[in-house]
Amino acid sequence: MLCRFRSLWFCCAGFAVGSFGAVVIHVGIVFMHAGESHAMDDREVDVSAAGENIEGQQPEPEPESVTEETTTHDEGVELERTIGLVGGLAIGIGTMIGAGIFVFPGLAANEAGPAAALSFAIGGVIALLVALPASELATAMPRSGGGYYFISRSLGTAGGAIVGLGLWLGLVFAAAFYLVGLGHYVVAVFAEIGVTLSLGPAPPHVVLGLIAGAALTALSVAGTERTAALQNVIVVVLLIILTGVLTYGVLDALGLFGRQTVPDTFFSKGYFPVLSTAALVFTSYLGFAQVATVAGEIKRPSRNLPLAMVGSVVIVTVFYAVTILVATSTFGADRLGEFGETAMVNVGRDLLGLPGAVLILVAGLLATFSSANASILSASRSIYALSRDALLPKKASEINLQYGTPHVALAMAGGPILVLVATDSVEILAEVASFLHLVMYALICVALLVLRRRDPSWYDPDFRMPGAPVLPAIGAVASVALIAFMNPASIVIGVVIMVLSYGWYRYYADDVRLKGDI
Amino acid sequence: MTRPSVLVPIRVLEGESLPEGVPDLLADAHVVLLGYHVVPGQTAPGQARMQFEEKALARLEEFETVLSNAGATVEHRLVFTHDAQQTIDRQIAENDCLAALVPRALGALEDVLVAVRGTVGIDRLARVVGGLFSDRDIDVTLYHVTSDDETDADVDVLLDGLADRLADEDVDPDRIKTRIDRDVKPVDAIAELAEAYDCVVMGESDTTLATFVFGMPADQVADKFLGPVLVVQREPSDE
Repeated sequence: MLCRFRSLWFCCAGFAVGSFGAVVIHVGIVFMHAGESHAMDDREVDVSAAGENIEGQQPEPEPESVTEETTTHDEGVELERTIGLVGGLAIGIGTMIGAGIFVFPGLAANEAGPAAALSFAIGGVIALLVALPASELATAMPRSGGGYYFISRSLGTAGGAIVGLGLWLGLVFAAAFYLVGLGHYVVAVFAEIGVTLSLGPAPPHVVLGLIAGAALTALSVAGTERTAALQNVIVVVLLIILTGVLTYGVLDALGLFGRQTVPDTFFSKGYFPVLSTAALVFTSYLGFAQVATVAGEIKRPSRNLPLAMVGSVVIVTVFYAVTILVATSTFGADRLGEFGETAMVNVGRDLLGLPGAVLILVAGLLATFSSANASILSASRSIYALSRDALLPKKASEINLQYGTPHVALAMAGGPILVLVATDSVEILAEVASFLHLVMYALICVALLVLRRRDPSWYDPDFRMPGAPVLPAIGAVASVALIAFMNPASIVIGVVIMVLSYGWYRYYADDVRLKGDI
Repeated sequence: MTRPSVLVPIRVLEGESLPEGVPDLLADAHVVLLGYHVVPGQTAPGQARMQFEEKALARLEEFETVLSNAGATVEHRLVFTHDAQQTIDRQIAENDCLAALVPRALGALEDVLVAVRGTVGIDRLARVVGGLFSDRDIDVTLYHVTSDDETDADVDVLLDGLADRLADEDVDPDRIKTRIDRDVKPVDAIAELAEAYDCVVMGESDTTLATFVFGMPADQVADKFLGPVLVVQREPSDE
């Protein structure tokens, strides 16, 4: 093991040594002792942000260097990286699995028939095509903000602002979608014990979604217990339940338990719905980008970021495909479609009786809860990244002195979420969330192509994706193409948000320059 | 003589300050002054930095001046983290600290209790005690709790060896005392005896199941004894 001196940097001691002499003050001579088992890569972050916004606020200076364990600023100030591989996977899987398994199967089967499995597979392939370049960019720039950070540094402030504000609002739409799903599951739980809810003029699942949304936001502001650990536990419990139920379902579908499965034509609804359904269910694949929004807090980013992003996409894709196959072979696509958002409860009941229904209900509650929670936290991180770069007021990332939590950013996530939950339009919410993410995904692919081509000296990713430039080019085209298959209403809302984001940038932060030297 | 490097962790933004007497205790040390701030999972550490860096650095520099006025050499770190233990462990490793201080106030420093566990790590223990307390008017008591599989002769060899070693490091031999107990629980015995001393020096323990359940002996002692504890760190393991 080489004893390498890392990050040997000196900076001016900005304070008086004092008149007492004989005092040596070293400021920030950081070195790793020999015996550090992993390679420490300490790269200079050579992108300097400049300019100021309309309020005269400037982007925060970039850190001195980024190591496997910290992000290091001058004057001996460090930010500890505390999220490991398991934590990263839990964020990715925990965000994604709620939608794909517990909300979409019924809706997707209704639109595409058994070929809905193919729709999920298409979504998975596109997600993978973006997760690979996102991983490469993340190992080159392991900073908070994820896709927003890569794009603002490689394509400039305008693109960064559109993507960054879009990421915040995309997560808001996604969280609203998950909360409506959560509301459906709570209603289903009550239905299971024979209680029909009636909560005022609004449908009960909307009221419950609103309550859950308000409670989650309040919990994020005031909760001091270890939410990250809780998220890990929820994801593990979910995966165990799903693996059990699905294994039984697969064996059952293969006829092992001597039951007839429902035969179906694969493309029962034709070919076009396969693609439009792929666009709809793409919301099930938004979570890997959330791993990148906390890239600044991931330990050993060069190893853990690619593993967490690509790994979570691969794992959920497999779960989705198996779920759809089991679900459609249990009921046939038409009946499945009639069950709507909580179709999986009926699948569980059909396979395993009441215990199966209860298991899926519990899992559905956990999954939609964890997806909504992860999205609210990611939205808050996106707001922090924007405000750090002076694209939003500094006030937006202010920390509450009592709880130590970013109450303004959390309110900026939670407030609009409640408005959107009240609309109760599951498909529009899902599609707009996907739209805003897909725009970012396409630009992530473009950013990778640009950086690979220009190859600036600061661009030194530890993970280089295979198949460039062909695969990222396909990823960019496929991301944009998927948008074309959405409802016109979703496309209009998405475009309006992009235009407003650009308008905000021109009004508020026209003078802010974030692009790196490429 | 090289100054032993000692980590002094301070929760700098929660009103924790450099306790009374610590500058005198560490006058001959090289102090790695770690200001840290723990943020909840909902908050990015960088977010806390944006808001609190200036205030925290100002406080650290205040402490730094006090420490260096007392004679120590000082370098500082300010870390925003989700996990205090991870941060402290990393700083100890990165800065090759011989010991970490559980920072508590003490009055005039007159006597020190040194808990000696065994031969493992005794060199580092000697470097800390010798480095900090040689040529000073401080009594050093070497204390050992004999276990069932040790003979009195073993213990004499252990403590005399350490006393000689400290004498080589310019600790006045007249000021070195030894004390041996048998049939007592080490943690309780150390904590109880410590009441009569101004400061405790002891080794970090190996991680065993018992330490996972009950915490490190050094932590347990620190919980019971209200004064400062210098926890001598294990040799970093070479991989």
